[in-house]
Amino acid sequence: MIAMVKLSLRGLWRDFRASDVRALLLALTLAVAAATMIGFFLDRLERGLTREAGQLLGGDLVLEQSRPFGEALRSELLDAGFTLSERVGMVSMVSQGEGFSPASLKAVDDAYPHYGESLVDRGEGNGAESLARGPAPGSVWIAPRLEILLDVGPGDMLQVGQAKLKIDGVIEREADPSAGFSSFNPRVMMHVADLPATGLVQPGSRINYALLAAGPVTALDAIEPRLVQWREQGLEIQDVHRDRPRLGSALARADRYLSLAGLAAVLLAGVAVAMATRRYVERHLDTAALLRSFGATQRQLGGIFMLQLLWLALLASLLGAVLGLAGQALLLLLLSGMLPVDLPAPGLLPLVMGVLTALAVLVGFAGPTLLRLRRVSALKVLRREFDPLPASAWLVQGSAAAVFGVLLWMYSGDIGLALGLLVGGSMALLGLWWLGSLLLKLLLGVCGALPRAAAGQNEVSGVKQAFLQALRIGGSQLARRREASLGQLLAFATTLFAMAMIAMVRGDLLSAWQEQLPADTPNYFAINIQPHEREGFEAQLDALALSRSSLYPMVRGRITAINGQLPRDVVPSEAQGNNALNRELNLTWSNELPDGNRVVAGDWSATAEPVIESLANGAEQGWHNSVDAVSSDSTPVAKISMEAELASNLGLALGDVLTFSIGSEQVHAEIASLRTLNWDSFQPNFYVIFPPKSLDGFGHSFITAFRMDTQREAVKSLITQFPSVTLLDVDAILQRVRDVLNQVTRAVEWVLIFVLLAGFSVLYAALTASAPVRAHEGGVLRVFGAGQATLARIQAAEFALLGLSSGLLAALLAELASAGLYMGWLDLAPRLHLWLWLWLPLSGALLVGGIGHWLSRDLRRQAPMASLGLIGET
Amino acid sequence: MPTSLTDSVEYRSAENSPLILHAHDLEKTVTSGERPLSILQHLNLQVFKGQSVAIIGQSGAGKSTLLGLLAGLDTPTGGELALFGESLGELDEDGRARLRAGRVGFVFQNFQLLPTLTALENVQLPLELTPMADDSRRARQWLQRVGLGERLSHLPRQLSGGEQQRVALARAFVTAPVLVFADEPTGNLDPVTGEQVIETLFSLNREAGTTLVLVTHDAQLAARCDHSLRLENGQLTEQLTTRSDGEEQTSGALESTT
Repeated sequence: MIAMVKLSLRGLWRDFRASDVRALLLALTLAVAAATMIGFFLDRLERGLTREAGQLLGGDLVLEQSRPFGEALRSELLDAGFTLSERVGMVSMVSQGEGFSPASLKAVDDAYPHYGESLVDRGEGNGAESLARGPAPGSVWIAPRLEILLDVGPGDMLQVGQAKLKIDGVIEREADPSAGFSSFNPRVMMHVADLPATGLVQPGSRINYALLAAGPVTALDAIEPRLVQWREQGLEIQDVHRDRPRLGSALARADRYLSLAGLAAVLLAGVAVAMATRRYVERHLDTAALLRSFGATQRQLGGIFMLQLLWLALLASLLGAVLGLAGQALLLLLLSGMLPVDLPAPGLLPLVMGVLTALAVLVGFAGPTLLRLRRVSALKVLRREFDPLPASAWLVQGSAAAVFGVLLWMYSGDIGLALGLLVGGSMALLGLWWLGSLLLKLLLGVCGALPRAAAGQNEVSGVKQAFLQALRIGGSQLARRREASLGQLLAFATTLFAMAMIAMVRGDLLSAWQEQLPADTPNYFAINIQPHEREGFEAQLDALALSRSSLYPMVRGRITAINGQLPRDVVPSEAQGNNALNRELNLTWSNELPDGNRVVAGDWSATAEPVIESLANGAEQGWHNSVDAVSSDSTPVAKISMEAELASNLGLALGDVLTFSIGSEQVHAEIASLRTLNWDSFQPNFYVIFPPKSLDGFGHSFITAFRMDTQREAVKSLITQFPSVTLLDVDAILQRVRDVLNQVTRAVEWVLIFVLLAGFSVLYAALTASAPVRAHEGGVLRVFGAGQATLARIQAAEFALLGLSSGLLAALLAELASAGLYMGWLDLAPRLHLWLWLWLPLSGALLVGGIGHWLSRDLRRQAPMASLGLIGET
Repeated sequence: MPTSLTDSVEYRSAENSPLILHAHDLEKTVTSGERPLSILQHLNLQVFKGQSVAIIGQSGAGKSTLLGLLAGLDTPTGGELALFGESLGELDEDGRARLRAGRVGFVFQNFQLLPTLTALENVQLPLELTPMADDSRRARQWLQRVGLGERLSHLPRQLSGGEQQRVALARAFVTAPVLVFADEPTGNLDPVTGEQVIETLFSLNREAGTTLVLVTHDAQLAARCDHSLRLENGQLTEQLTTRSDGEEQTSGALESTT
């Protein structure tokens, strides 16, 4: 055993001169680097996002109810490892002198906030300060809107209930912004210690008590079973993992994209390993035969070479891990604004995963080929032709596919996806094999038919003839070297495909993000616009706003029955606690499908062109005055359009009849269509849309979203002109989402570089592997009179044609795969990529042609005697 | 004697054949390890069109090195060399290659067939480099002439050693070359097969009127050539040969002045 270790180490040391070993090292290092980098990064991103979500929520866990929390619950949370902060919210009038306004009070304690900082302008002339605390007892912070409405500022006193509190600052951004999003009145933040003095906490007051808990994931896991019980008891609970708000879909995509890119890099490295191993084995056949003739057993032989590669893998793991660590540090730097400053040190797990990935790639992609060395016959020492047969292509590819499938599963955590991709991939490979053979046949035909120089002319002259000759010979050589060319064709096609996919998905991902948040994305919401204010407000918006959405009428209604039964009795058990059942939904009515909405089932026109036009209150003839007679067949029922995800969560389908309680009345509505919509769009979005005019009879207001420069004047003029209209400033949130997307974009680009590097390693390995064959061919061609320049042209033509064909196959593959991927995994609409068909063949020809030409420069310089192995035979 | 090999109008043999290959004072020294090793010293040789010349010598005498030099596959460290009347010393690698294209055929000891090409494709290969029409038909004809008309689409590994060498023969003659170099063409073959290959080689040579330079260690094989030269201590010496027709003759292949 020790002898074997020694022998393997010595062999490896000598081998570092060989290009295949260098290619192997490069490929494995890249595989480990990509895997560890993305592993490290995603690990930290996950934690960062959870923090981010926690910050938006105000804690990792937010419990809310309408009465104070008991000690028992508090101590249970404390025992689980959480730190707690208390938040009390209510709506109340605040006043200053003559002016008064409703305000959304938020009282916080000393532990506030768990995460992040508030941006508060304290009127000291030096702009907004970042403060990781709430207002001190005796003071309040107010929203900018209140500053305008009451004409107050820092230093003034504000009457809150019976207490007079000093205004200490104007809030530009709250540390936990989502906590304020649901409340429409301007914010007043105060300290909980001042609550008793206000006298606002009375029996019967509508007060929201929230307990904000922050703690490690282990604490969340520990408390999980209790959360279920508490939810059943009617406690409203949000946790960062279930209720990650707003940033969700874009980042989930980024997360998946990075995994995908990492996998692509690993796959490419695997292909490179497979190609380099082939050459490695061929180069060592003689050594193996010699060792056999000296009496080495198959086991010893396999052991020596396996050990050699194992050392190589370990070295690559070390190098790759260092690279990966450095890479993720750079990624973090790129994302620094998004992640919390005090990130825990990188865990060991990604490192272990990286090394395991290297070993898996080695075993899966190199193993079967390596077995060939064991089977060498000692007779080969005497007779060259006693080469063992190459490993069966099926075995090689099967083992690689199996390993890749496991890696897919490991990285995506989705066995269905892994299997699907694997089966799809194998079928694609078979298809490619077939298409590739066809392509080569075609190439042979075309090249053979290329015109030749006129007979009798002794030399090939002229640029055109030289070009044609190079194409003819290069193309024929490529096509005739069927098996080897097919292997390379597939490897390059896979490489170009993976590179294209990663680049393409990146582009589409970015443009999808940009489309999601175009430059004119609204930064304000206006609600409570009364019908009589509608025209005036619209006119004012048209004058002041940069862009705006339509004004949607809105009434609030609660689902009280589903198909005549109580909702709790019919919805699935996991939907029992669904907020949509517990609170009033915003209902609108319209004949136009709002922007960004897409009907996925049913018929929108049933809603847009209602049979029933009228719907007034009281005794007028209409469909809802007989609503009590639910069973009556003549009961008019409105055809509504419902948001698809809510419908699916509540177990609702087309044709189900919902009963809404609006004000004091009951309204029946049948689901005529299901819509998807983009919740991240910063546009007014509605779960339920009624037919136009159908709800006109109810007391309603309008809602709209618009973009406006954040300068005070325009906002102030809107607020003063329409005092009862509530403006919600979402600029801060919008900006935050933008920042995150920008940072993720940079991360995505950084990862792309790794994929490209892995692609180059494949090219390098493949061209290295085929070098001896080409050297021999070049030698023979030169003996029969091909000059260096001619040879260079022929080889360039061959490489370029190889790249071109690979590019064509890759384009086809990419087009097919992207369609599947977009629909299945990234949740984007598929699109045709015409540029692929131009760029892939072109860049394939240039890349393979260029690298191939460069790598074979030494071969061309070699004397033909050396190429043919004749030197030394004197 | 002229100082240059190419400035004279033309050398002609006694039979008035043009001089095809002319080596004058040829030297080849290689540095192996620390000491330079002189393989060829002041070597002279003249080969006229249509002649067959054998170069014999022991293993290690430098036969293959000489052949490589004569064919322009390698460059000498001293002396002058002309092929088809053109001085090789004045040509670069590409120039030497162009000189060979279509005019020089090769037969190697280890065949040097491309393993991925069929017999037919291997024979077609040299034709690709020359503007000759109908290369497929031509290649077929030559394969038929060496008795492999039925094995056109076989790969080298599907052929026996003798068959492979016959493919190599067809490849060497397919361009109707002026000069064919053969390097130990029977070295890898058993005696019977070797004999068949040699028969084919000489009959093709006779029919095509090709000039032949054959390197071998086999004195019997050498005896079938017009001239037989022995390579010893880096120099060529004339051998007294007995032609197969029994007529004794001396070679005129060595430059008379040396």
